[in-house]
Amino acid sequence: MTQPMAAAATEQGSADNPASTGSRTTLGLGLVVLVGLVAVVLLGFFGAPEDDQQRDAVRMIFVHVPSALLTYVAFATTALGSVMWLWKRSVWWDIVAHSAAEIGVMFCGLTLATGSIWGRPTWNTYWDWGDVRLVTTLILFLIMVGYLSVRSMGDDDATATRASIIGLIAAVNLPIVNRSVEWWFDRTLHQKSSLTDGNLEDLTLFTLVLAIVVWGLFFLWAMTHRFRVGWLERELRSGDLDEAIAARKAEALIDGDFQNGASS
Amino acid sequence: MSDDLSPQVPRPTRKGRRWFPALIGVAVLVVVIGLVFNLVSGSLFFYNADEAVERRSDLGDERFTLQGAPIGCSIVEGFSGNDPVVAFSVTFGGETVDVVHFGDPAELFQPDVAVVLDGAWAEGVAPVDGFDGLADDGWHFASDRMRVKHDNDYINEEGYDERLVQSGAARADAAGACTT
Repeated sequence: MTQPMAAAATEQGSADNPASTGSRTTLGLGLVVLVGLVAVVLLGFFGAPEDDQQRDAVRMIFVHVPSALLTYVAFATTALGSVMWLWKRSVWWDIVAHSAAEIGVMFCGLTLATGSIWGRPTWNTYWDWGDVRLVTTLILFLIMVGYLSVRSMGDDDATATRASIIGLIAAVNLPIVNRSVEWWFDRTLHQKSSLTDGNLEDLTLFTLVLAIVVWGLFFLWAMTHRFRVGWLERELRSGDLDEAIAARKAEALIDGDFQNGASS
Repeated sequence: MSDDLSPQVPRPTRKGRRWFPALIGVAVLVVVIGLVFNLVSGSLFFYNADEAVERRSDLGDERFTLQGAPIGCSIVEGFSGNDPVVAFSVTFGGETVDVVHFGDPAELFQPDVAVVLDGAWAEGVAPVDGFDGLADDGWHFASDRMRVKHDNDYINEEGYDERLVQSGAARADAAGACTT
């Protein structure tokens, strides 16, 4: 890096115009998540007992259930951010909605993938189109992929409004996904909630709760970074716009001076 | 002259943009229809054993999905030609259905853990040597796809014995269903 560039980078790293999305808090949070992940892996593989029916396949619960829960949290956050954008035109909430949607799609994809992998040895199938929980989760995933596609089409307010409406449509699906195993209990392949209705061994329950906490902290960490990226992008765009307007004004002034000079 | 910027000729808008709201609308509509269809059809995903027996005349030879818990003492594995076959009786809601599954059973197939089977009613005794169907009603369910509907109990071996004793299928075993 040349000296002027380094100086510029230092300047950009000020509180008003940060060059990085990290901070001491996010660094600490990231380290806690890493340590927590190691603990979950160790407990998940070597601590928690195998299940009487599923044997070692039960260990998928430590990835699948936390991912599903964080999917709900992320998409509910998107819905809240969408409401605040539509109601108050709050840019802050709009960036929160977008950030949560990106992380939520990742969690939802992980939920579908781990559920499918878990389903093969336990249900004897990767997928069943007759199962309400599976299909409504897939629909939720596709709606939110649509949300991100719309987001990628522009940075203007109209795009944010369209995306917000899609975010709210997805939110309607959230309680259906969550309650489907209760509402269609006698008609679905998917078991009821493991956490609220299940019967878990003590160490299995502890590991599951720990995994949920670690996933939750990861969500906070990722949200913080993604939000800051979103905020910086917006600042950059508005800065570019200001520069373009200033340049246009300067052009107009030069043109005006030239015309005045030519007429005199 | 300060802020008086000369007007610019607006750039022609891309045609695709005009179609965008309609495209989004159609996509959302498709998703909503898919959701509703899934919810309606999902409510008919399978017939429990008692419902399947009740609707036997309506179902005829139509393919449907059956759900019930296998009774342990009834399970007999064999071959149909060179292909593996497993015969067993399932119970749900007080009714028993004899089943012949063509193909390997699911990995977690075991007594009292409910199975979800694709197939159709077939008239006659199940064609598996050594299998005495507990339903013994002149019908059996011929299946070619098996899934396991396990519950949300994640317990170890000690807990399993207790659960088996408490279960309906185990009660059927305990009542000597296979000896009658």
